[in-house]
Formats: sequence, structure tokens, C-alpha cells
Amino acid sequence: MRVAFVGKGGAGKSAIAGTFARLLGRSRDHVLAIDSDPMPGLALSLGVPSSDAPIPDEAVEERAEGEQGPRYRLRAGLSAAEAVQRYAVEGPDGVRFLQFGKLRGHVATLARSQFAFRQIVAELPADDWSLVGDLPGGTRQPFFGWARFAQTVLVVVEPTAKSLLSARRLARLALAEHPPEALLAVANKVREPADVDLVAQRSGLPVVAAVPWDESLAAAERAGRAPMDAVPDAPAVAAVASLLERLRKGCS
Amino acid sequence: MRVAVVGKGGSGKTTTSAVIARTLARRGLRVVALDCDTNPNLGISLGLGDEETERLAAMRDELDAGDAEHAPSWDELIDRFGSDGPDGVRLAVVSRIQNPEPG
Repeated sequence: MRVAFVGKGGAGKSAIAGTFARLLGRSRDHVLAIDSDPMPGLALSLGVPSSDAPIPDEAVEERAEGEQGPRYRLRAGLSAAEAVQRYAVEGPDGVRFLQFGKLRGHVATLARSQFAFRQIVAELPADDWSLVGDLPGGTRQPFFGWARFAQTVLVVVEPTAKSLLSARRLARLALAEHPPEALLAVANKVREPADVDLVAQRSGLPVVAAVPWDESLAAAERAGRAPMDAVPDAPAVAAVASLLERLRKGCS
Repeated sequence: MRVAVVGKGGSGKTTTSAVIARTLARRGLRVVALDCDTNPNLGISLGLGDEETERLAAMRDELDAGDAEHAPSWDELIDRFGSDGPDGVRLAVVSRIQNPEPG
């Protein structure tokens, strides 16, 4: 399963993506959770102790002149699967975590790791690995190549005017660049059934899951704890579990 | 007075900016609200509505698509890419010209 979460900043991408990856990790062997947001937050929601799992500079090399492809690639002899074994941090439930890289001041280094990151995501054998991506917030970045790996793009939408407007823009952009097999909305912070209808109508997307407003989840987020560790029985976690089940049925 | 509001996604930048802008305008100041976000939603929080917010965003997008010329000066920028909202706040969408490489 290859899933990417997009949405307006603060819509709940990381919390849902982190929980989704952990649930997937409990039932499957290989899950790679990837944070391609330069303002990374997925580690906290996954419960990975390190919030920094970048691809080191020495894993990347410049392509030889005349060689086809992007300017940088993984160093010769290093496969995507080996790079994951080596550089991804192992978190709870066996989920591997890889980060595109924080802004550390040097943009050149970031550009190198960006190509390596995308190569790993593109070349990791799809039969062995499930991929869960927490994409950059907002509308500009997610569809500049970050979402290509995903069969399913999930737009996380709050029932608020700004989130709904962002969702419509994201839906448009997702279809314009590299249309995924499925483009679906996840209604988040739902307080009443009418919220789900609102998300369906105003986003123009089929709503595949409704995650309720959940005070216990909000408390876990405030404390910087992964929902799966702090509140595994929370209604919001149960809703993410049903999302996973629905996607599984859709995939099979 | 010149104020910039920054923060993590969802922390309340847009709402805070809109309340500051309208409060200043109600006190009689001339206020220009600049939406520098690549996902521009300030129009909604200022009270211009969905449609007008989208119209301004679309106009900004035409620049990236190469379908429109950029304004050569700040006052023309505010004029061409802006719209008047409640309390007389002038909103303009002025996010940075797009560089198709992320990061």
C-alpha cells in the first residue's frame, strides 16, 4: 500500500499519517513512513524518539556526465532497500522512518538529499514495502514530485472554510500533476454528521473516512506523544483503523 | 505600523493577521493586508468570502503560469492583485514568484 497524506497546515496530516503507519506496522512486515515536510512533525506522531532521520551527504553522489536522470542519485552500489536499512530509524511497531531533511541552513545539501529521498521512495520494491507519506502542508509543495509514489492520495480536511478551500485547490493540483489511482478526502475533527457532508460537498472528493474531534487525541498532540502510545483506544485512532480497513478492501 | 505574522501551519497565523488588520482599520488606520502564503486563505478570515478569495488566488496563479505580467511597482501590485474587504482593509495576494523546485 502506498499512501500520501496532504492538506492544509494543521489539518491533522501528521497525527493521522503517524497513526496509520503504526497500525499498518502491526499487521505488515515492512512499513516506511516518510516525512517530506521541511517543517517535520511526523516523528512525534509516530512515536519515533529521534526527530531527525535524514539521508547523509555521503550516501549521495552526482551523476556522471552523460548519465540519464536527475543530477544526484544514491551512491553507486547502494540500493533503495539498503539505504532504508541503513538510514531509516526504526520506531515502534517496526515502522521505519525517513525524513527528507530539515532546513539546516545549507540549501545545496538539501537538494542532494532531496534527489536521494525521491529515488528511495520511487525504487523501494512495492511488493515488500508499504509507504506512508506525510507531505508538506499547504498547496505549493506536495505536488512538485513528492506525491508520485502514491497510489492513493488522501486529502485531510477539517470542516472549516479555509481547510475546505485548501482541499479544493489540492484536489485540482493532484489531478493536474500525476493523477493517483485514488484521490480521497479524510474528514478530520468531525463534530457532527453534517461536517462530513460539508467536506464531501465543498471538497468535491469522496470522503473515505470521518475522524471525530477527539479531546484525548488533542491532549496527546499537546504533550508531543504519539496517539498510538498515549491514547490507543481513542475514537480518532479507531477511525484511522477503519480508514486502513477500507483502503485494504479497495486495494485487494 | 508594519506587522508580519509567522508560525507553524494551523497555529492561527491567518486568523490572527485578519483580526489585527480589521482592528487597526476600525481605529481609522489605512490597512493593507498582504497574503504571502502560497495557499492564500487570508481573504476568508478577513471576510471577503470564498469566491473573492479564490479570484485573487487565481489571479496570482496566472503569474506563475506566465499568463499575466507582474506589477512593476508596489502600488500597482496592491491595485492589481488586491481587493477591498470589510472595514476598508485592502487585501493583496503577493506570495513569492514561483520556483518550481521545492525547498
